[in-house]
Amino acid sequence: MPAESDIAARIRTALGEYLKRDPASIEPRHALREDLGLDSMATIELLFKIEEVFDLQIPDQDLQKLAKVSDVIAYVEGRVGRPATPAAKPPAKRPAPKKKG
Amino acid sequence: MNQRVVITGLGAVSPIGIGVGQFWKAALEGRSGISAIHPFDDLPLEAYRSRVAGQIHDFTPAHYLDGPHVDRVDRYAQFALVAAKEALSDSGLRIERENPHRIGTIVGAGMGGMVMGEREITQLYRSQRPNRVHPNFIPTITLNSASGIVAMAHGAKGQNLTISTACSSSAHAIGQSLLTIRSGRADAVITVGADASITPLVFAGFCSLRALSTNFNETPEKASRPFDRARDGFVMGEGAGALILESLPHAKKRKARIYAEVAGYAATSEAHHMVIPREDGLEVAETMALALKDAKVRPAQVDYINAHATSTPIGDAVEVKALRHLFKSRADRMLVNATKSMIGHTLGAAGALGGVVCALALETGQIHPTLNYEDPDPACALSGISTQAQERPITIALLNAFGFGSNNAAVVFRKFSR
Repeated sequence: MPAESDIAARIRTALGEYLKRDPASIEPRHALREDLGLDSMATIELLFKIEEVFDLQIPDQDLQKLAKVSDVIAYVEGRVGRPATPAAKPPAKRPAPKKKG
Repeated sequence: MNQRVVITGLGAVSPIGIGVGQFWKAALEGRSGISAIHPFDDLPLEAYRSRVAGQIHDFTPAHYLDGPHVDRVDRYAQFALVAAKEALSDSGLRIERENPHRIGTIVGAGMGGMVMGEREITQLYRSQRPNRVHPNFIPTITLNSASGIVAMAHGAKGQNLTISTACSSSAHAIGQSLLTIRSGRADAVITVGADASITPLVFAGFCSLRALSTNFNETPEKASRPFDRARDGFVMGEGAGALILESLPHAKKRKARIYAEVAGYAATSEAHHMVIPREDGLEVAETMALALKDAKVRPAQVDYINAHATSTPIGDAVEVKALRHLFKSRADRMLVNATKSMIGHTLGAAGALGGVVCALALETGQIHPTLNYEDPDPACALSGISTQAQERPITIALLNAFGFGSNNAAVVFRKFSR
């Protein structure tokens, strides 16, 4: 089995955290709905988390392309460039709220 | 006690007109109230996925209201005050001549006073000065602020309730007003639905929920397109609708103009999911069936449906599936329209504005068009939906409203006959 990209590992970690299960039990072939039990709302919440992790905006029309874990991995890899190395830069930190006066 | 209940006054505040006359004329002409969203101060608009809305751009409260109430309430409650004032004036009901404890107020509101709510929260965190939170913050954001202020403005001392069931709030308000009068607990109820929550945070929240249309940001008037194949989410609207519901004997005694009868109502919970409807539509069909049963009307008697039809891919298809399930072949013989195609989804106001439309449709036989129904989605297509206004005598109308929280409501209206 080829080595997993850093992106794939981070997505599985995010999924594991969201689903409260061991990331190692989540496989690329798993369908978000049928295998992992995510309904459309849960998928939106998961993608909200992935947008944060990778500092991405995922347009509504791309949602239907994301049926399996492998689709999500391929999509994110396509959006952030080549499969990232383990030294990928962390997502940009949000600016602290401005204080007045 | 089982009084018949009639509608004797109407009021409307909407993106296509303030006042029932303007609203109805624009609706029959098929005018769209959807436009590019007004900027939220200095927030980056491009970071909002959806950038269209049905906003009321020319609302100056002082044009419609006077007295101490105007400036001390949030925008949604100002809308409620304007619509209620119009409806009361239209009905000729003079509360000072009535026993005020027999006049109730029931308001449906989904979000409430979010304009001030968001402003005060933002200021608190920016300024770090809790002692500068406005003293009127709590009375403004309390969800019953509109029902309180409407009753106060008119001296209505009967039951004063707020119903918050998201997008079905004011359909429930109409239904609960019906039950209140029918059971003899009030002679009349000022029934209102209002919301004004096209605010930076709420709008962002609906964007994050991916509930809003995003494909028509450059062509706002095309964005709200119930039943059409290209629909891709709802468009937020704002406004208020008001109806004076009154017992028939009371209305007759004062020789009031009667628009229509409110004949039946049902409220159910799908007990299914916070935001996703059951795809088989069976609970929606059951809700409509229960409302018809309450009105002692058979499905075959229904002439017109004011559909919930928000223009979301799943919601419209489920509603049509339910209509086909309940009405069978009659589903294609009824007239059906979607008020939201013109004004967007006004959330807590949607049911009341739909009720105003039903009352006028029964009275005039006129059915407003459904905008942007250009390429009927096979999952939603019904023969009675048209992009043109239609005219036909209508005896029974049915209003649907479904809300987050797995809520369904249906209200049956009947052409009034003595």
